[in-house]
Amino acid sequence: MALREAGMLLIAAAALGFIYTAAMEKGLFGTQRAGFSSSFPTSVNAPVTISPDSAKMFFDSGNALFVDSRHAYDYSLGHIKGSINLPLAEYAAKKDTLARVPKDKLIIIYCDGADCNSSIELAARLFMDGFVNVKIFFGGWGEWKAKSLPIEKSAK
Amino acid sequence: MKPLLSNDYLVLLTRTFLGLLFVVVSLEKIVEPAAFAQSIANYKIVGPPLTVVLATVLPWLELLCGFALLFGIFLRGSSLLLSGMLVVFTAGVISALLRGLDIACGCFTQDPSVGKIGWMKVLQNGTLLALSVFLYFSSSVRFSISQYLRTRPLG
Repeated sequence: MALREAGMLLIAAAALGFIYTAAMEKGLFGTQRAGFSSSFPTSVNAPVTISPDSAKMFFDSGNALFVDSRHAYDYSLGHIKGSINLPLAEYAAKKDTLARVPKDKLIIIYCDGADCNSSIELAARLFMDGFVNVKIFFGGWGEWKAKSLPIEKSAK
Repeated sequence: MKPLLSNDYLVLLTRTFLGLLFVVVSLEKIVEPAAFAQSIANYKIVGPPLTVVLATVLPWLELLCGFALLFGIFLRGSSLLLSGMLVVFTAGVISALLRGLDIACGCFTQDPSVGKIGWMKVLQNGTLLALSVFLYFSSSVRFSISQYLRTRPLG
């Protein structure tokens, strides 16, 4: 009895879910999947993850703004040279930091690899706030440092 | 325990609380399936195809189960499904905590800056699980559409 009821609810939920997302062109049938990694089919402008080599290439070009989404303390101990600190938890309070940044500016967000998802989440927030050229350097601080690429520490 | 399980008012209160809760939390997920899919993906448990399917179906399942509890239809089926979902959600949170992931729960809101996973979230889910298991085993069907349909005078 309970299983039959559960089965009926499950079928109804699946039908409604797929019909709704198809009708509204969202989710599975949508074009915007903000924040998904590059393994996801994404819209043209949705954030994608990039490799350390790509991050280095963008760094060398001088056209990218690197944003460190880790906590301020971690940032102060060391960060990618020239990056700014915008911890995810303080996004609402500190997003004015990006007020003068053009919406089409290449922004590369990083934290610290697999133990940290704030780069993905911050990228989604920026994308939703209108920044159309956001990339996620998922390997982040750990990979950058391991490759002995340019870093700096905050002044005490 | 038996008097509790057959207490009409306690069952109604629990049904109303859980029903309203799941209806409310499902709405944001229904409106923003991409954000919910991202919340699921952050747990790094299932692959992209299953993530999208879950993000499409789960919010509607929460909504239907919520309404079922509120109106008293399919009471055992909906409480069984909610219990199953809560077991899976809680296992996901515990797994993420043990792997040291610093992610938002995605349970009640899709805003990534609030509702981080933690042991409080496990306790919260455990409480909701206890309530839905209570409903599954409860024998009271008073104040429900099922009961009304069963007892209404024919003709």
